[in-house]
Amino acid sequence: MAGRSNYDEALIVEQLHHQDTVQAAFGKVIEHYSSQLYWHIRRMVIDHDDANDVLQNTFIKAWTSINNFRGDAKLSTWLYKIAINESITFINKQKALNHISIDDDDSFLVNQLESDEYFDGDEAQLKLQKAIASLPEKQRLVFNMRYYDEMKYEDMSEVLGTSVGALKASYHHALKKIESFFEEND
Amino acid sequence: MKQEDSEILKGIGKETGFKVPENYFAEFNKRMMDSLPPIEIKEETKKVETPSMWVRVRPYLYAAATFAGIWCMMTVFNNMNGTSSRQMSELAAGVEKQNKDAQIDETTTDGGEVLNYQDSVMMSNDKAEELPSQAK
Repeated sequence: MAGRSNYDEALIVEQLHHQDTVQAAFGKVIEHYSSQLYWHIRRMVIDHDDANDVLQNTFIKAWTSINNFRGDAKLSTWLYKIAINESITFINKQKALNHISIDDDDSFLVNQLESDEYFDGDEAQLKLQKAIASLPEKQRLVFNMRYYDEMKYEDMSEVLGTSVGALKASYHHALKKIESFFEEND
Repeated sequence: MKQEDSEILKGIGKETGFKVPENYFAEFNKRMMDSLPPIEIKEETKKVETPSMWVRVRPYLYAAATFAGIWCMMTVFNNMNGTSSRQMSELAAGVEKQNKDAQIDETTTDGGEVLNYQDSVMMSNDKAEELPSQAK
């Protein structure tokens, strides 16, 4: 997906700044990034329909604020930031709707996962999703970006605005908590 | 990365078990493009920087300060010239007075003094001529 031959990011960023080319260029951005952003959002919000809504909001937000993107940062960094903000906003709204404290973990998101028609994972995969959902929000983000997206710490640092050292520490803590979760729920 | 992962994660792998409907991404991309609201791109124009008040006024202030400086210097020089010319006039007047006094002295000196001087010079010349012969 990321290796599509006709995707020239520098050219697309240039085209995004002109009225006559912006729509076509943004179409290429959607085509190029929709899948990776979807999976990142999906791992945060768990449910497919919710992930679909958040992804749509992400692209609408990016589209309406395209004038603010000057090309100083990478397009992927900018889109990831929007996607993460939209995901967290969505989760916080869900917490408010379910009368859950904003400080509580996101375990409520995986309660319906077993009956989700778009989930066919085995028991271990389900348990891992429950373990990840029990992590504090920042650790969830770091774990997902590192473990599933295999993102470099330097890139994560740009997206999350956190130092590489702190991100490594977060990932390490997340691993320990996941191990503990598996030990406690054996 | 593999070194930092735990044994549990290695056993599970990176499959999440999450699925999407068939042709989801192709349909999403089309739907997304159709739902984009119209926007107006602010094409980057060369920024015309409005200079600050200080920057605009600065040349005039510098010019005014220069003129003021020149005016002050001219005033000071004029004052100094006035003082010095007065002093020079006074000095000149003093010198003229001294010259006049000197002229008066010359005219009042009698001839006897001059003759006495000539005599003393001639006498010293005679003594000088005698000295080599004494040496012989």
